[in-house]
Amino acid sequence: MPKTNEIIRIAVDAMGGDNAPDEIIKGAILAAQRKENIEISLVGPIDILEKKWGDLGSPDNLAIRFVNSKDYITESDSPVSVIRNKSESSIAVATKLVRKGEVDAVIGAGYSGAVAVSAIQYVGMLEGMERPAIIASLSSFAHNTLLLDSGANVDCKPHQLLSFGIVGSICAKSLFGIPNPTVALLSTGAESSKGNDAIREAYTLFQNSNLNFIGSVEGSDILGGLANVVICDGYTGNILLKFYESIAGYARIWVKHKLSRHPILKSTVDPIFHKLFPMARKSYESEDEVSGILWGIDGIIRIAHGASYASHINHAIMSARNAVQADIVGSLRSELVKYKTEGKL
Amino acid sequence: MSVEDEMKEIIAGIVHVDKSLLSRTGTFKDMKADSLDIVQAMVAIEDKYDIEIPDEEAQKFQNFGDFVDFVEKRIAEKGNA
Repeated sequence: MPKTNEIIRIAVDAMGGDNAPDEIIKGAILAAQRKENIEISLVGPIDILEKKWGDLGSPDNLAIRFVNSKDYITESDSPVSVIRNKSESSIAVATKLVRKGEVDAVIGAGYSGAVAVSAIQYVGMLEGMERPAIIASLSSFAHNTLLLDSGANVDCKPHQLLSFGIVGSICAKSLFGIPNPTVALLSTGAESSKGNDAIREAYTLFQNSNLNFIGSVEGSDILGGLANVVICDGYTGNILLKFYESIAGYARIWVKHKLSRHPILKSTVDPIFHKLFPMARKSYESEDEVSGILWGIDGIIRIAHGASYASHINHAIMSARNAVQADIVGSLRSELVKYKTEGKL
Repeated sequence: MSVEDEMKEIIAGIVHVDKSLLSRTGTFKDMKADSLDIVQAMVAIEDKYDIEIPDEEAQKFQNFGDFVDFVEKRIAEKGNA
């Protein structure tokens, strides 16, 4: 059920991200200052949190509490270390709060793999899902197109790709209002014989599913909107997404360079690009509500960009709040149950 | 149910394979298990038998049989303690 008037409790991994903990704490403060029924739990070693809080002037009357963790994940840790030897790290403690029912959502700007593993281990998967996927909306260029997985899983098994197709289809229906979204596998050619082992095996699974599967598409088909849902492993998806996000920025530079002898025309380039392509700015600031969520987890876990500053964390907190209020996990759970009941999953 | 059968059931549930595919000479690689599957299986087995499987010991396992032997040994040691 959607939660409209309740206080939404959000845990933030204060130690995750390139600019942690300072920018993460500042972002939490920005969100709390909005006084929009949010209660924030900053998770990290308490001594570090208290010192940084003091450095920031110890702002009071904010709905922020500290939750202690003994440790935190560093770039040199493997994702699975959050289960084995870093089970008391800040992201592990934050995700455990979801399972305990103490918070409604978690924000993590640290190592994405570690956030995903924490979510799988300590929150758990929805029935029918084995691995979570991150959905990216390619709406600036490719109208009504979603890409997944855009980074949660480096390697994917064929049946995991199928489950991403189902999640993508459910989301596309809900987001775009399309009754039967087209779904495609991303490959090196349209033929079923193209692609790596996982893609070729997945092709058969997709053909035998009840999804509106249109076959495989190539990279050059994506921006043309050939499919509403484009499925690939997180390794491919993450590379593709980052390339996609860079297109508008570099196109702007290229156009300005070409217009260098026409100062009046050149002066119009920035406003036009900023208006038409929000991603020409720092893309993660303008992410929509579906982006960054680990879809398939039995709770709302939102991955924020590793290079996030305070404003991005503030945005991520608000986005997670909206996701809780809209009960996106409950909606996905209900849809997955229907698929399971109908033997489609 | 023997420890070996219980372990098969746990691992098959985590890796999502038929437990009949697990033999003493089989490996996680044969099951197409990824690193998360392997760690989840180890943690589940540690929890089930209340034992510890150090990473350095786990790295020595050549196949499922080695894994079973190690776990049975640790259970026996615990019983004798």
